[in-house]
Amino acid sequence: MTFDERLKAICARMHDRNLDLLLAVHDGAHFIETPNPVTVLTGFKSLGPSVCLLDRAGAMTLIVAPVWDAERARTACPGAQVDAADDVITALRMMLPKTGRLAIGTAGLAVAPFRLAARIMELVPNAVPADDVVFDAAAAKTDDEIAWAREATRIAELNYQHLLAIARPGMSEDELAVELRWHSKSLGAEDNFLLLCAGPHNRAVAPSNGRRICDGDIILAEITPSFRGQLAQICRTVVVGRAPDLLKQKYELVVRSMNAGIAAAVPGARMADVCGAINAVLEAQGYGEYCYPPHIRRRGHGLGFASIRPGDVALDNDTVLAPGMVFMIHPNQYLPETGYLLCGEPVVMGETHAEPLTRRQATLAELG
Amino acid sequence: MLTMHPTLLVGPADWDAARLPKDEFLARIAAFWSGCDPSIGSVVIYGSPRDHAELAYLTHFTPKLEPAIALILRAGEPRLLVGGGANMIGAAKPLTFVETLLPLRDAGQTIARWAHELGSGGLALINGGAMRFGLRQEIVAALGTSPSDVTAVVAAVMRRKSMREIALVRDACASLAAALAAMREAHQAGRGMTDVVLAGEQAAWRRGAQDVRSLFGRDGGLAPFTVPIAEPADPLQVYVAVRHGGYWAEGFAGLSRAAVPVLRAAQAILDKAIGLARPGAPHRDLARMLADQVPINRSLPVTHKHAGHSIGLALQEAGGLDAASDERFAAGEVYTVRVGLRDDSSAAIVSAMIAITQDASDVLWRGDGT
Repeated sequence: MTFDERLKAICARMHDRNLDLLLAVHDGAHFIETPNPVTVLTGFKSLGPSVCLLDRAGAMTLIVAPVWDAERARTACPGAQVDAADDVITALRMMLPKTGRLAIGTAGLAVAPFRLAARIMELVPNAVPADDVVFDAAAAKTDDEIAWAREATRIAELNYQHLLAIARPGMSEDELAVELRWHSKSLGAEDNFLLLCAGPHNRAVAPSNGRRICDGDIILAEITPSFRGQLAQICRTVVVGRAPDLLKQKYELVVRSMNAGIAAAVPGARMADVCGAINAVLEAQGYGEYCYPPHIRRRGHGLGFASIRPGDVALDNDTVLAPGMVFMIHPNQYLPETGYLLCGEPVVMGETHAEPLTRRQATLAELG
Repeated sequence: MLTMHPTLLVGPADWDAARLPKDEFLARIAAFWSGCDPSIGSVVIYGSPRDHAELAYLTHFTPKLEPAIALILRAGEPRLLVGGGANMIGAAKPLTFVETLLPLRDAGQTIARWAHELGSGGLALINGGAMRFGLRQEIVAALGTSPSDVTAVVAAVMRRKSMREIALVRDACASLAAALAAMREAHQAGRGMTDVVLAGEQAAWRRGAQDVRSLFGRDGGLAPFTVPIAEPADPLQVYVAVRHGGYWAEGFAGLSRAAVPVLRAAQAILDKAIGLARPGAPHRDLARMLADQVPINRSLPVTHKHAGHSIGLALQEAGGLDAASDERFAAGEVYTVRVGLRDDSSAAIVSAMIAITQDASDVLWRGDGT
């Protein structure tokens, strides 16, 4: 699928929903779990708030802040009319048709900051939520996005090798995290959702803090570089020192559960089936109670920043898998004997099966 | 300045009681309450990874991953709700002096329960505008009314920095200087545009920066890093923002291996601007001087109508230096001041970080160009 084909699909969905105009908004805070309809429609990753107007015929207007970012937006979106303003809502007010009763759908409003969303609601009080019009069409990635996901994965794996090369006792989690973030940027990643922590018995993976890494710690790392706005993630576990046999056995179990999930990810299956396949392996070993909150709430997720479809690998997600979808499969399991263990690969759905994007699957690594 | 916001904040953000003792926060909270409507008995403070200056000011907490909400009472210990579930509490504890940390769940119901517990004292919001629309609606529905917003009260208190805060801004300026020195060295060595930027970022990170943002470009234009650019540029305009111990410093520099006349002219105008920044002086005087010195045909989009602003826990605080402002400089405030200028052949942006003193201003950092 190309970007233009996706746009046509969105316009067709607007027609089906009898929408004359789609109004997409994003605040410029690019969080891994917050989908960005403006980026889906334009390919542009803004510095500040942005609004995109798309009519049913495909004519597009993009409004970005700040004013001085206009040239970058025009370069990124040659097919759109681009306006730049320090206050995008004031600019939007000027752009909206003054007459006629248009059926307007909105996307991104519920997750936009109140100060932005409330003003849009005032401008278009009769607009209806139409997030699904944008994001359903973006459930499968474009050919470019899949290529960028592959590159992001390549960077993630190199970033992980760098972690193995530099992590050492005495280094703080923060020091390790910022070095890895910088390193991934030097490899071409414009961002990196780098969730990293360490401890002898982790309850979860959490953002780094000033704690210093010790001998015997287990380092957990979700390494998630973004290349041209497309994220890919690898989940890895590293022992500082020699791994006890029990830990090795448990890690192999978690890897086995992940592989069961990957095997279950075939076109036509539901995301819930993937989750169920992972749980089944762990439940068979007596870890059923650890397959649910507070220990685990999902076994993977979509990868944005633009669209995070097909959503979570979770028992309540009935999304049917289809070629072109890109998502994470990560058991990321808490076990009482070892603590939390990270293990996960990004996959792209092919015609017959899910293809891991990584060259090397997760194994338990040892430092020193 | 707006920069590309990262998806996760990774830098060191632990509370350092030696640099900012709990008494400092208690004094801030007391100053806030003294400026607040007496009918208000408690405030709910919202902070997201993108927008959390007020939360950090009153609790030191930087939400690295998910939003957080604090409850601060006129009398009683503050409470902090952190996103991510119960398993995130341990990782969050080192980031704040607040002792009662709870998982952030059902925010609307939790806040309604707080309001009920507190009885008659009114409950107000700080930074409610940054809340997700859906969350704000949930809170209003749970309370049955829209709480008043007292962000302006705390914003006014935040503008005047304590000596401890100024010391942290100085640290940020030192890291900014180190970043720009590394960029200058990489530029002199003929390295590509993004390698120059990365060299500066690395220098700041290695000095313990909490966050580093950059923009760069040719001819006075600026853009964020998107993909590596191996091609060198001379002159190269760079912008760096460094956060250290919670406090931001930012600076512009024009990197060039040859003399750039417009850079020297911009620096001369910047000197005049700094001279106008003294206690009691109107912001508009500085902005109007810049408008006179930099006619529109010689101005740059980045600095046109944006001569600077107050800076601190937010990269851009209230207190913009614009021609329509009625505000005046006051002792204890910290500003970034910028000048952008173009001539027939090139363009440059220069800037300075200044602290307003009792009788003038103290230059904390000033770009010298190359």
